[in-house]
Amino acid sequence: MMPRYWRVAAPALVLLAAACTPKPTPSAATPVPPPAAPSTAAADSAAAAAAAAARRDSLAAQARADSLARAALALSHADSVKTQVQGQSADTAPAATASGLSAADAATLADAIHFDYDRADVAAGDQARLDRKLAILAAHPRLAIQIAGNCDERGSTEYNLALGERRAAAAKRYLVAHGVAEGRIAIVSYGKEHPLDPGHDEGAWAKNRRDDFVVSRGAN
Amino acid sequence: MTGRLLLAALLLASPAAARAQDSLGPAPNGVRVGITYTPGTRPSVTVLPAPAALAVLDSVRAILRRDLDYSDRFEVVAAPSGATGQGGAPNYQALNALGTDFAVAVLPAVDASGAGQVEVQLHDVRTGTVRNRLTLHLPGGNGEAVRAAVHGAADDVVRWATGSAGIAATSILFVADGRLWRVDPDGAGVAMIPSAGRPTLSPAWSPDTRTIAYTAFVPSGRPLVIQDLATGSRQVVPGSEYGVNITPEFSPDGKQLAFAHGDENGTDIYLYDVARHCCVTRLTVGRYYDNLSPTWSPDGQRLAFISSRAGSPQLYVMSADGSGQEALAHFDFGSTGQTNGPEWSPDGQAVAFHREVGGVPQVFVLDLANRAVRQITGDGRNEDPSWAPDGRHLTFVSSRGGVRQLWIVDLETGRMRPLANTVGARLPAWSPRQSSAEAG
Repeated sequence: MMPRYWRVAAPALVLLAAACTPKPTPSAATPVPPPAAPSTAAADSAAAAAAAAARRDSLAAQARADSLARAALALSHADSVKTQVQGQSADTAPAATASGLSAADAATLADAIHFDYDRADVAAGDQARLDRKLAILAAHPRLAIQIAGNCDERGSTEYNLALGERRAAAAKRYLVAHGVAEGRIAIVSYGKEHPLDPGHDEGAWAKNRRDDFVVSRGAN
Repeated sequence: MTGRLLLAALLLASPAAARAQDSLGPAPNGVRVGITYTPGTRPSVTVLPAPAALAVLDSVRAILRRDLDYSDRFEVVAAPSGATGQGGAPNYQALNALGTDFAVAVLPAVDASGAGQVEVQLHDVRTGTVRNRLTLHLPGGNGEAVRAAVHGAADDVVRWATGSAGIAATSILFVADGRLWRVDPDGAGVAMIPSAGRPTLSPAWSPDTRTIAYTAFVPSGRPLVIQDLATGSRQVVPGSEYGVNITPEFSPDGKQLAFAHGDENGTDIYLYDVARHCCVTRLTVGRYYDNLSPTWSPDGQRLAFISSRAGSPQLYVMSADGSGQEALAHFDFGSTGQTNGPEWSPDGQAVAFHREVGGVPQVFVLDLANRAVRQITGDGRNEDPSWAPDGRHLTFVSSRGGVRQLWIVDLETGRMRPLANTVGARLPAWSPRQSSAEAG
């Protein structure tokens, strides 16, 4: 008798193998390989290991279920990206409607933090802003957020996308280090594509070098 | 006092100074500024008037004449009166007397079996002979196809006269208003390419010009998309469903795609095996810094790229397996501005990039033989250079005309011209030469 999860996940595994396996998911926490180490090898062996584990007896049943669930999740995520790519959907962040928070908490959670030019470290003054978000996240364990990194108009389009990713990651690292579960925080970079202030001076630039915080799953 | 300063400013802004802006100005450390222009050393060419008042011949002549001009290999001169004799044949004596080196004749094809056939001849005026000729089959109806065919013929004429082909039968991708566009290097044929995501960023050509790759902004992420230009079909690069995925570049053999993938630990360069539709290999390992904008040497052996490992983003190089990473362009930490947007030249001799000078990006070219850095621009903001397949022209984004648009510079003569129909453009990518089937 085939366990239920195996029936669900087996086709996913086959499809994953046929697609020659994307890189490990961000949550897979694989060690950093040396330069030129094929990361697909890691993903391939992870998939193979999962398959091997699935063939063994029930001692590792829980681990098996977890890894298969991860594989299925990866696949469904890939499918949703493909759907968006084919459908040319607009780039809109999930709406923070009905977050289940008080207006004050919602404002505190959405309070942006700012960065120095070409820097991605959280300023000492902004740690307090993040600490106030920590309290809200702790009080509402179902709440999930997306952190969006943004840059000013200086610097290249492409470098700013990388810099924006680092800015979002810096805030996420701080929150995770202070106890928020990693899976509750997604990050995204807008580079210099979404300036808050369209001006061309330091006043505008300072406003645009920021992390925005958006509720992606409500507290209720 | 103020008045005197104003006067000085006015004197400095004389027409001569304005013209020379791109080759004057203080040079940053270790930088050789400017372009050497030696007029009068190029052969002259004229496009002869058509023998009959045929509209199609006139339009072919106009396109040819402009393509020859934009090749920057010739002094294009007007045909003198009496340049042609009976049936449109060139009068070598009259042309020679005016010092014309070459004459291009556009004639109805001799054995034209039907409409739409034209003969293009290149005459060597000095020797009084036809150096070469071709029959041009002009497709009926479609203006784009006609122009593509004439561009192909112009490139052949350039090759016959100078030994290397022109760049008229090419196409430039760019981003404007978050959408993807293409334009011919003469400013005609501008067209939107339906693409995934908005904005669409960092377009790149495959070597056979049949597919493109780009970054798509979609709600769930920044995946890389490979798109077939003819069918519009799309494929997401495996592994790019997560994080930020930018700056794709096909390898010269078209079998691999180098790109940068960023996640919570920083941005690194990977290779995707396009030929086998699988397998992603990691080339750099950064922790909380970025490696991006890989660009291939034409032999496929090396990649130049941008890294912020020493603080600000600068130009580095490595072998295509990720080994031997080292700084490529000299920089002084703290005084050299951010460097971005590198592109290796098609002849392998140089890498173009932009670097901030006093907070304003300017286009530079690194000569790989001696690692000397040459500043190409100095007027307004100038960024994201992309090489034409002839290795002497660059297109780049410039604000010099008061609006942001694409410009083209010929590094041999220093001639700069705005590229029409590109207002608001950024991130240009100049195609390789189109395959002969497409060029007609």
